[in-house]
Amino acid sequence: MSPLYHSRRQLLQGLAGAALLSQMALPALAQTRARLVVVGGGFGGASAAGAMKHLMPAASVTLVEASPHYYACPFSNLVIAGLRELDAQRFDYDGLTARGVEVVHDRAVDVDSIAHTVRLASGDQLAYDKLVLSPGIDFLWDAIEGYGREAVERMPHAWKAGGQTGLLRQKLEAMDDGGQVVMAIPPAPFRCPPGPYERASLIAHYLKAHKPRSRLLLLDAQDSFSKQPLFEQAWAEHYPDHLERYGAADFARVVSVDPDHMVLTTEFDDFRADVANVIPPQKAGEIAQRAGVADATGWCPIDPLSFASTLQTDIHVIGDATIAAPMPKSAFSANLQAKLCAVQIARVLGGLGPEPTILTNTCYSFISNDAAVSITGVYSNDAGRLQSVEGAGGLSPLNADPAIRTAEALQAETWFKTLTQAAFG
Amino acid sequence: MAWRATWQFGLILVGVLLSGCGNASRMDDAPVPDLAVPEAGRAATLSLACSGCHGPAGGAIAGLENYSAEQLQSEMMRYKTEPEGNSVMHRMMRGYSHEDIEAIAAYLGAEQAE
Ligand SMILES: Cc1cc2nc3c(=O)[nH]c(=O)nc-3n(C[C@H](O)[C@H](O)[C@H](O)COP(=O)(O)OP(=O)(O)OC[C@H]3O[C@@H](n4cnc5c(N)ncnc54)[C@H](O)[C@@H]3O)c2cc1C
Repeated sequence: MSPLYHSRRQLLQGLAGAALLSQMALPALAQTRARLVVVGGGFGGASAAGAMKHLMPAASVTLVEASPHYYACPFSNLVIAGLRELDAQRFDYDGLTARGVEVVHDRAVDVDSIAHTVRLASGDQLAYDKLVLSPGIDFLWDAIEGYGREAVERMPHAWKAGGQTGLLRQKLEAMDDGGQVVMAIPPAPFRCPPGPYERASLIAHYLKAHKPRSRLLLLDAQDSFSKQPLFEQAWAEHYPDHLERYGAADFARVVSVDPDHMVLTTEFDDFRADVANVIPPQKAGEIAQRAGVADATGWCPIDPLSFASTLQTDIHVIGDATIAAPMPKSAFSANLQAKLCAVQIARVLGGLGPEPTILTNTCYSFISNDAAVSITGVYSNDAGRLQSVEGAGGLSPLNADPAIRTAEALQAETWFKTLTQAAFG
Repeated sequence: MAWRATWQFGLILVGVLLSGCGNASRMDDAPVPDLAVPEAGRAATLSLACSGCHGPAGGAIAGLENYSAEQLQSEMMRYKTEPEGNSVMHRMMRGYSHEDIEAIAAYLGAEQAE
């Protein structure tokens, strides 16, 4: 085994050095008393708040998060397929509080970028020197005719984890054998490009095991998609009788739904569903619009060196809300962008400029209960834009030995633990 | 608990401090970093990506605390140069220059030397 994929024993040693170095380093940046405010306590915002407090311990770091708990989306497709419990997705903010972050459970309703204040639903105002927005996504309600807020009970999206995740699972469990599951997939860009296809694989896995006469139909607004050759190979191998996909070339974009009669309508036909999962088109979380950091696309342009908004000063945007392509909207990206943004804010408050670096992304997708595939990207951020580094990144091998798929599933589990501990631990 | 955060961000701090060569204009009340090693800034930001997967969680991905700079560098170079390799690390390291790999190794290896 290579030294970088390793045994448990060796993971638990060798931490004293790290502690010593960081104690030596603390005094200098301790001087900044800046007021740093973060809106959104997901993978981006929780990571940014923790990193900024660690880098600038004398600064006040306030995290505004609407919900008392966070339900992580990564691994939530396993919950839907009955392979994991929803509780395993739940995290709270005690860890960040213990690290000195002031956590305010409230909704940010407005940002005054001139006065440098954030207004909360309670009426309170927070003043900031630097504001980091990581609000994730909001849905474009009624972009699919008939799919408004009230439709989510009958046709769950499950694209923000929590109650919706559990609801989709219950509907699958309650469905009779022989029923048809229909999933609507939106046009890009959306949160987690391979996410719908991981979900499709795992729902097919559930049907094959528990409702063998049922099948899943994908109505996809995209023609090509993330990790496509790997997913198609897995589907042909494992789920030939349980999963069928129509893409944009088949006019399969869902244009309207009728939740009362459980009908989804594409550009060419109507489809009746026993269980429907509608993933609506998306935009940056609403507060981005209020703060004036989103452009006409609904997403937020940023300077890739520091993730500073190009539209407002002293506001940074990270995570799903940004326009950061070719970096995907992933938890891995949000966490890395958060750490980089925190370093650059510290540098700027310390009188230095941001400087270019290399960023990466890795996303694992499960294709069955114990097998996963991955995509990796490497990006440079100089010359004013994020750009894939040529000759790097790419997919897990096709036609791989099952041991490779199992190994990547185990890596995925470690990744999830590491990332959630870093953000919420 | 404390050491988790320390491992992740202790790394960063060193780089931020060391990179204070400071010809940029300073805010009045800003701290004045005192060591002039500009490269450390890049080593620190390059190394941020590693902690996305490598941490103390245990399991299938190793923590990096136990390796010397030499070990880290030769491993990363192996991943970069093995033409048939297709693990996540192979695919990733192909995107890093020799100099960047050296910088990351020296940076993460220094943690362990202390
Ligand atoms: C099914 C699925 C599977 C996925 N799998 C993976 C995976 O395997 N790997 C991976 O890397 N990524 C995965 N993702 C993507 C990942 O979940 C997102 O990219 C990530 O959550 C983005 O982080 P964020 O901080 O931008 O947003 P979020 O994590 O959504 O956090 C936003 C937070 O902001 C809060 N908020 C929003 N507006 C306000 C406001 N006005 N006031 C107060 N609080 C507010 C919200 O309550 C929320 O807690 C998956 C996503 C889905 C849907």
